[in-house]
Amino acid sequence: MSGPHILVVDDEPQILRALRTILLAHHYRVSVARTGEECLALAAAEQPDIIILDLGLPDMDGKTVCSRLREWTQIPIIILSVRNEEHEKVKALDKGADDYLVKPFGIEELLARIRVALRHHARSQGDHETVIASGDIAIDLARHIVTRDGDEVKLTATEFKLLAYLASHADRVLTHQNILNNVWGPEYLNNVEYLRVFMSQLRKKLETDPKLPRYLLSEPGVGYRFVTED
Amino acid sequence: MAQTRLLFSRFLPFILAIAGIALITVPLFLLRAKLSTSTVALLYLLPVLISTTSWGLWPGVFSATIAFLAYNYFFLPPYHTFIVHRTEDIVALAIFLIVAVLISQLVARARTNLAAAVARESETTRLYELSLGLAGVNKLEEIAAVIAQKTMETVKASHLELGIEPIYEESPFTLSLPANGISSSNPDFVIPLETMRAFLGEIRLWLNGAPLQPSEERVLRTFAAQGALALERAALEHTETRARILEESDRLKSALLSSVSHEFRTPLATIKAATTSLLSDQIPWEAKARKELLTAMDEETDHLNYLVGNLLDMSRIEAGALKPNRQWNILAEIIDSVIVRMHRILNNYTLDIQISDDLPLVPVDFTQMEQVFSNLFQNSAKYAPVGSTIRTIASLPDPDTLLIKITNQGPQVQQEHLDRIFDKFYRITAPEKVSGTGLGLSICKGIVEAHGGRIWAENVPEGFAFLISLPLTWEGTSPPVVEAEDL
Repeated sequence: MSGPHILVVDDEPQILRALRTILLAHHYRVSVARTGEECLALAAAEQPDIIILDLGLPDMDGKTVCSRLREWTQIPIIILSVRNEEHEKVKALDKGADDYLVKPFGIEELLARIRVALRHHARSQGDHETVIASGDIAIDLARHIVTRDGDEVKLTATEFKLLAYLASHADRVLTHQNILNNVWGPEYLNNVEYLRVFMSQLRKKLETDPKLPRYLLSEPGVGYRFVTED
Repeated sequence: MAQTRLLFSRFLPFILAIAGIALITVPLFLLRAKLSTSTVALLYLLPVLISTTSWGLWPGVFSATIAFLAYNYFFLPPYHTFIVHRTEDIVALAIFLIVAVLISQLVARARTNLAAAVARESETTRLYELSLGLAGVNKLEEIAAVIAQKTMETVKASHLELGIEPIYEESPFTLSLPANGISSSNPDFVIPLETMRAFLGEIRLWLNGAPLQPSEERVLRTFAAQGALALERAALEHTETRARILEESDRLKSALLSSVSHEFRTPLATIKAATTSLLSDQIPWEAKARKELLTAMDEETDHLNYLVGNLLDMSRIEAGALKPNRQWNILAEIIDSVIVRMHRILNNYTLDIQISDDLPLVPVDFTQMEQVFSNLFQNSAKYAPVGSTIRTIASLPDPDTLLIKITNQGPQVQQEHLDRIFDKFYRITAPEKVSGTGLGLSICKGIVEAHGGRIWAENVPEGFAFLISLPLTWEGTSPPVVEAEDL
C-alpha cells in the first residue's frame, strides 16, 4: 500500500520529471498535470490528498485554479511561485491556498510542507483541539491561557486574539489581510502597522530571541505563519 | 446706457472742438478793435491745431470749419453776418480754411504714424516676451502653455484652446485657458501652428464680441509661427534624446550581458563538474566526497538564484516598473528578517545592531527594503575581513527622517569612487578579483530613490559605511502610533 496521493501541476516538463521521481522515491503516489484545466479535471477524478500548484500556468492564473478547487474541496494546496510574484501569491493564498514555496526550493523544505499540510488536513477533519502546543509554549484556546515553559504569559486581549488566530491555523501562511480581517475586522484591512506592532510584542513575550523567532515567522510581502514544533 | 456713453465719447472731441473755438473767440472779440484780421486768423489756427493733435483729423477739420465760420461772423465786416464784402477778406477766409484743413491733415498723419510706431513697438515687445518665454523651455506642454498665456495677454479672448497634434511620436494634448473653460460653440478665430515640415496643431479663440484688429491678427500669426518653430524644435530634440537613451540602454544591455554571462559561468562550471563527476561510473565516490560535491552544487545554485534575482530587480528598475508597495513597517523586523535569511554568510561576522524599539514606523516596501539591506550586507561581507564587525545604527537626524548607517571594517574607498560605486557595473577593483554582477549597489540606489530616500557611502575611522536616509512621512502623513493595550 503506497502513501498519500499528490497531484503536481506545472507546465515545465523538467520540474514535473524531477518532482515525480523524488516524490515517488519518498513513497507518495504521484499524478501530474500541465494546465489548470487538466488540474481541475484530475483533482475531481482522482481525489488526491494534496495539490502542488505552480502559479505560472499557461491557461489560467493560480488564483482562479484555487478558487475553482475551493468551490468543492478542502484538499490542501501548496503553491509554487517565483520571486517578484508576491502579489499573485497573496491572491492565491486569499483564495484558499494553504502554503507556498518560492522556486528554487530545497526538496527537504517541500517534503516538510507536504507533511505539515497532510497532518493538518487530517486533524481538521476530526475534532478541533483546544490546546495548541509548540516547543516550549502552549496555548489554551478555551481557557485563554498561554504558557511558556509552564509559566503563564500575560497577553492583552488583542495579543491573545492574534496568537489564537495564528495558532488555530498553525503552520499555514496567513496573509496580512486575512489576519487583519479576522482579528481586527474588515475596516482594518489596510492597517498593516497594527499587525506589525502586535506581532513584535508577541515575539518579545514568547520568543527566546525575538530577533530570531522560532514560532512567529514573517513571510516577507505575504503574511505570517505560526510554526508548531514537535 | 453703455450705448449712450459710447455715443457721447465719440462726439466729445467735436464738442470740445467747439468749446475751444468759443474759448478763443471771447478774448479775440473783446480785443477786436486792437487786432488786425490776419492776426486773428493766425490765432484761430491754435485751437484747430490742438483739436487735430488731440483727437485726429475729423475733429480737426470740424474745428477748422467752426473757426472759419466764427472768424467770418465776428471779425470780417459786415460783423455778425456770414456775408463777406471785401475781396481781400474772401481771399483771407479761403486761405484760412485751406491752411486749417492742411494743418489738420498733416498733424493727423503724424499722429497716425506715431500711433503705428507705438503699436509696432508693443508688437515687438510682445514678440520679444514670447521668445524670452520660449527660451529655456523644452517640454511640449510648457511651450504650449507659454504660447497660450502670451496669446491671452495680447487679445481679449474669453476662452482659448491650444490643440497639439501627435507629432514626432509625442502624444497629442489640448490646453485650455482658463483651465476649466469649456466651449461647445465653434471658435471665432483659428490660427494654425505649422512649420515648413508639419502641421503641429492650432490655436482656437473664442472672442468677447469684438472681432480681432488686423494688428492683433498679425501679432497672433507671428506668435503662431514662433510657437510652431519652438514646438517642432522641442519635439525633434525629444526624438533625438530618446534615440540617445535607446543607444545608451543598448550599450548597458550589452555590458550587462557580458558581465552576466561571465558571472553565470562560474557557478555553472562548478555544478556541471560536480554532477558529471557524480554521474560518472569510473570512480566509486566516498560518502564524504559525494556530500562535498553536492554541497558545492547546492551553494552554487543559491548563488545563481541570487544573480537572477538581481537581474530581475535591475530590469524592473530600468523599466521604471519598481513601484514600492509601501506600508508602515518596523525597521528592526526587516533587518532581522534579512539576517535570518543571510545567516550562512553573516555567521562569519560579528553583527552589532543598534535599532531602538522607540523608532517610529517607516513607510516602506518590506521586500524591497529587505533586498536593499541584503545587498548592503552582502557587499560589506565581501570586502570586510572575516571575523570583523558589521554595525547597523538607526537614528533620527530630524523628526521626519530616518537615517540608517551600516559600517564595516573593510578597506576605505578613494573619494573619487565614493559617488560612483552606486553606478551600474562600477567596480573599484578589477572584475576578475571580486565576484558579483556590479548591480547590487545600483539596485539599492534604485529602490531607495523609489522610496524618496537617498543612499550614499562614506569613509569612517573604522572602515567604510553605507548610509540611507528615508522620509518618515508618507503622502503627508506622519508615522501612526499604535496605542499600547492594557493587560
